[in-house]
Amino acid sequence: MSSFKSLDLFGSGPHRFSVGKRGELAVPAYVLGGSGSGSTILGPIELDVIITGRLIASTEANLWALRDAAAAQAGHPPSPGTLIDNHGRIWTSMTFLTYQEQDRTDRGRTVSIHYKATFRRLA
Amino acid sequence: MLTLTPAHVTFAGQVWPDVAAISVDRRATREVVEWSDAGPHVAFADCPEQRIDITVTMHLTGRAHFDAPRPGQGGDLAFFPAPGGSDGGRIRISTQAVVLGIAHDLAGKKGALRTIRLIAVSPNGALDPISIDQV
Repeated sequence: MSSFKSLDLFGSGPHRFSVGKRGELAVPAYVLGGSGSGSTILGPIELDVIITGRLIASTEANLWALRDAAAAQAGHPPSPGTLIDNHGRIWTSMTFLTYQEQDRTDRGRTVSIHYKATFRRLA
Repeated sequence: MLTLTPAHVTFAGQVWPDVAAISVDRRATREVVEWSDAGPHVAFADCPEQRIDITVTMHLTGRAHFDAPRPGQGGDLAFFPAPGGSDGGRIRISTQAVVLGIAHDLAGKKGALRTIRLIAVSPNGALDPISIDQV
């Protein structure tokens, strides 16, 4: 079971973890007032962990409870916590940066919605 | 669902005579299929958008037929499967439907055939459009 700050936010449905781009953050020199085609290295890219999945409930109200619980953790001000994936991989000091839902709630046998949640270890 | 030679087919208050068959086909127009991090198999599936297509095939007799329904025309479609000669335990199938198309085929051995395509419409988007009632 995955968790963020020990909360099971996404366990109602299948979800998958991925890690964002890693390496150095290079900015074109001209953006920073320089000239030519060179780049300026600003430092390491912040770590992103992305969860995509589906919240699933039996009723509209239950789905809203799941949606609100996830969105609340992405609220302001950011509050870092520990993120753990479905296989026990741990990322500490992660901020729940954004929670983005798909354009529609799917109402079939169940009530569900697809989402993308982005966590970042802020520098 | 397929009904051959249904009895007393009506649409929008009009009787459709000489109906050879009515088929009711269901399919998902939007499938939700999800996998998880646990393994290779589908972990969740649902069909949140579906459609029910109805095809009515009828024999045409006589020389002229100007009474065909038109695309966009809506109304109640109802018929009886008529499983046997007895009236005991008859079933009535009905739905709100909208005509999508009409086509004619002159190649049949028994004369001309008219095929009417309809789509079933739910009263509120959640209820199944097809009603099956004992009468």
